[in-house]
Amino acid sequence: MSELPPTTSVRRWLVTTNHKDIGILYMITALFFLLFGGVLALLIRVQLWDPANQVLSGLAYNEAVTAHGLIMVFWFLSPFGFGFANYFVPLQIGADDLAFPRLNALSYWMYLLSGVLLGISFFQGGTLSAGWTMYAPLNVPMYTPSIGSTGAVLALAMFVIGITASTVNFLTSIHHSRAEGMGIMDMPMFTWSMLATVWMMLFAFAALLALGLILASDRVLGSVYFSATEGGSLLWGHLFWFFGHPEVYIVFFPALGVMLELFQTFSGRRLVGRKWVIIAICLISVQSFLVWMHHMFLTTINLEIKTLMMATTIGISLPFDLVVFSLIYTLMKGRIQFTTPFLFAFGALLLFILGGITGVFLGAIVLDYEFRGTYWVVAHFHYVMFGGATALFGGAYYWFPKMTGKMYDEFLGKVHFVAFFIGFNMVYASMFIGWETPRRVFEYNPEFQIFHQIGTIGAFLLGFSFFIMFYNFLKSFVSGPDAGENPWDYSRTAEWAVPSPPPIENWPNRPSYASGKLEFVKDYVPDGGPAVKADENGNAATDGGDSHADHIREYAHWDKHPSHASIWPFALSMATLVMFLGLSGFNDSISIGAADSLATTPVTISNPVYPILTVVGLLGLVYTGVKWGFEDFYAPPAEFAERWPFNGVEKVKLGMWFFLASDVIVFGAFISAAVFIRYNAGWREWSPLTESLPGLINTFVLLTSSFTVILALVAAHRNSRKGLLASLGTTIVLGLTFLAIKMWEWHHEIYDVGVTIASNSHGDPVQASIYYVTTGLHGVHVVGGLLIAGFLFYRAYHGAYLEDERPVEYFGLYWHFVDIVWVFLFPLFYLF
Amino acid sequence: MIDPITLQQGTDWRAQAEVFDEIFFVFLTLGTVIGIIVVSYTLWNVYKYRDDGSEAPEDFDAPVVGELPTGQGGPKAKKLFLSFGLSAIVVISLVVYAYGLLLYVEDGPDTGDEGDIEITVEGYQFGWEYFYPNGHTEMNELIVPADQRIDLKITSRDVWHNFGSSDLRIKSDAIPGETSETWFTVSSEEVREQGGEATYLVECFELCGSGHSAMKGQITVIPQDEWEEWYAGTEGDSEGANSSSVEGDLGTASVTAPAVGGVSA
Repeated sequence: MSELPPTTSVRRWLVTTNHKDIGILYMITALFFLLFGGVLALLIRVQLWDPANQVLSGLAYNEAVTAHGLIMVFWFLSPFGFGFANYFVPLQIGADDLAFPRLNALSYWMYLLSGVLLGISFFQGGTLSAGWTMYAPLNVPMYTPSIGSTGAVLALAMFVIGITASTVNFLTSIHHSRAEGMGIMDMPMFTWSMLATVWMMLFAFAALLALGLILASDRVLGSVYFSATEGGSLLWGHLFWFFGHPEVYIVFFPALGVMLELFQTFSGRRLVGRKWVIIAICLISVQSFLVWMHHMFLTTINLEIKTLMMATTIGISLPFDLVVFSLIYTLMKGRIQFTTPFLFAFGALLLFILGGITGVFLGAIVLDYEFRGTYWVVAHFHYVMFGGATALFGGAYYWFPKMTGKMYDEFLGKVHFVAFFIGFNMVYASMFIGWETPRRVFEYNPEFQIFHQIGTIGAFLLGFSFFIMFYNFLKSFVSGPDAGENPWDYSRTAEWAVPSPPPIENWPNRPSYASGKLEFVKDYVPDGGPAVKADENGNAATDGGDSHADHIREYAHWDKHPSHASIWPFALSMATLVMFLGLSGFNDSISIGAADSLATTPVTISNPVYPILTVVGLLGLVYTGVKWGFEDFYAPPAEFAERWPFNGVEKVKLGMWFFLASDVIVFGAFISAAVFIRYNAGWREWSPLTESLPGLINTFVLLTSSFTVILALVAAHRNSRKGLLASLGTTIVLGLTFLAIKMWEWHHEIYDVGVTIASNSHGDPVQASIYYVTTGLHGVHVVGGLLIAGFLFYRAYHGAYLEDERPVEYFGLYWHFVDIVWVFLFPLFYLF
Repeated sequence: MIDPITLQQGTDWRAQAEVFDEIFFVFLTLGTVIGIIVVSYTLWNVYKYRDDGSEAPEDFDAPVVGELPTGQGGPKAKKLFLSFGLSAIVVISLVVYAYGLLLYVEDGPDTGDEGDIEITVEGYQFGWEYFYPNGHTEMNELIVPADQRIDLKITSRDVWHNFGSSDLRIKSDAIPGETSETWFTVSSEEVREQGGEATYLVECFELCGSGHSAMKGQITVIPQDEWEEWYAGTEGDSEGANSSSVEGDLGTASVTAPAVGGVSA
């Protein structure tokens, strides 16, 4: 642990774990990616100026289209919203920071460096050119062979890993750190929107992670999932849209949250039907997982499923109707102030209404058939997603005074809005008029040229308008007037009750809503003991201790100050970047010959750079992971907090449960993929590739190791160092036994039976791929578990965990989970 | 409005383009009207309740920093549910209406005889190959007769494509390992209007690689007698034909089929 350097030092921004610093980093990085994606958009628009134009080659155009989509959706929209969430969710709920500050920094660095990996991919023979939807099998090396294509896929996987950490962090924070008196229904609407967003992300991004891992395996290891004609293409479609549809709301909800806040602040009125808006938001979050096949109406899905998906699609438009009407009625009888933030939020509502109406068109299947693959779809989702993001720019103006302490220039802000709004509608409304143009095509019908030319002019106006904003923010940051604590007349949320910018730990004293409104209470803190709620005279109150969970007494060190700096999130992300960069060219640099056994297998390395990077990255990952584990970083949970519905669940345990929930979806996606492909190939056509005996032995080995982990916990509880070491040691030995049997089995399959990841002399090659990749993912989980177990063993040898056995308990949760997954894999691959 | 039941009875069947145009017209009209009403109502209210700098009325209950959020109930909440209910009725009835026509488009008109011609379309990077029932294959140009229902079975031999013709309002995914279906029909009146040979542009509507933009083909519709003559000439010709992927029997039943429907030949 080190002290946090001042904001003027570069080191500060590398080591900071403070949510406000990281929020600012997110926003600046996201704006950079807005420019990156924006330049690509302008390239597209220049190509579309004339149907005979060839500024870019066909392949380069496809790369521009793909990277534009990926960057805007993943590296701009979501992270920009998360910048605000990082900064303001803890403030709105009365927390000091997010639940896991180092994890938060890790998410940010993973995000930034995955973007760097994507940038590098342009120089590795060209980036991915399969569209942001990456439909199979165009996404496999046979059709997109460049190293950069693999680099882009790995960049996406790295981004999702960071996102998953962030999701777990926000879920734990919002459910675990709300100030006393702030029930879940009392949260401000922006926080509510973010809560719904991260709940959707927990499941949706897990599906995308599974998809990214399978695709990376196809591209790096040579498995054949997505080139399989046994449903490989449709598998991609289903999994991608199972993620992809919730993703639309994942990028829209942060913006919706900003709209809900700003409509109230700038009209002086409270939200109409607040409870119903919250219910609508929750409904949308659930329904978003039930509509994905409306992106696939023209595939071979049958009429019954189409009908069902049409009904759920119309169903999901209804809660949105309610939210939109609530926003409109909130303004009525108010005192509406046309400030820049309000103009952007209000503009966002108008654009979203247009996006919503054109979306109902798409819900009618006959219309959808014709709109599929045309500019109608392009225009519609830009109105929804970018229209929503319009509110985020409103959020940037709204919170700029809070983040910098300076007021922005109102006149320039309004000029920005006008240029933005006109440019926006020129680009996307013209797409509706020329909708018959196929998507991602530049040799289009000359009849539509005029509309595309209007769009191109609008796009440049739209792009230019952002430079007004950048200039405004830079100028105001340097020489703007002081904004004060609260520059708005009708703001309500807690961030406006602290100085601008807020101090590092946010609050003067502990924030509490126990009395029905925000107060800062001074707790009575005895020497070296837990704080006790004070009465009016500052003495310890007698009834104050009841919301004090026992675990917090044990956990917290009352004389210790919370940490705000760590270099390891940055270092670990760098190691990941190096490893993934190495993996991107791994397959092209190494060729493995045929042989009778592993020892005699010839390996030819044509280019040592990529394999070396991979190994260096991997070693760096282990090293930084261990240093992370040993770092003395102190982030205590809030002493008094509202935790419904997770009262009594300790912070790290809650985080572990959220992580495992997302991992369930990852494995669920892998298992669904196995079942889906097998179903398409004909279920009874396949029989197990392997003998069942090694699998059966391994099942017993793993189940026994689950038992020894429980013994370890019992031993730790009884303060028995020997018992703890013995049972942890047995767990490790059992885990290693599992891996040894697994290795023997794989070796046997590869060299004796002749079944490798890409070929199968006894049946469908994809069956072999599924076997190796799914059991391989499980194997990686076992290896990860063993590394953690080794770490625990080392610490236990030096006397740790006897007083506080929770790390052993949480490791046990993970280990049990890995064992349970095996219980599902065993019948799937060894019995039937 | 067209009753889908009568559509299916085969006396007055219509092309997909006509069905699409009708639904699109209904949606566009209603969408525009509702859009204008909602947006103007909103704009008018925002203007009406602007802060003009005057004193706030006595009963104006302004929010304060640090209050626990509450909502507004009362008459506004009633209005909220009323608007919500109205919008739900509009949206649901629109979709129910459109669903009736979907059922028609899914199955196509029942022509009541064996006269339909079934052709397999296979997408590849970057073009289309058509397989006729007699084993004849054509590259990029699909030649079919007027006044007959043409059934297309669509698949792909490499990546995911999408076969579509905007003029005919037909479209379907071409997915490796899968076969999707669509149908179309062109009347001989239409062929006559276009000078004895009606042509329609075919485009690929799913990104499929570097040549995606240029992946265009053509559907050519000619009068039935001309087509029969042409088709008979292809008999036994096997240029590049992969007969195993030809759907349907290889007979000539389809050629002798009479013209169907109420469209005069």
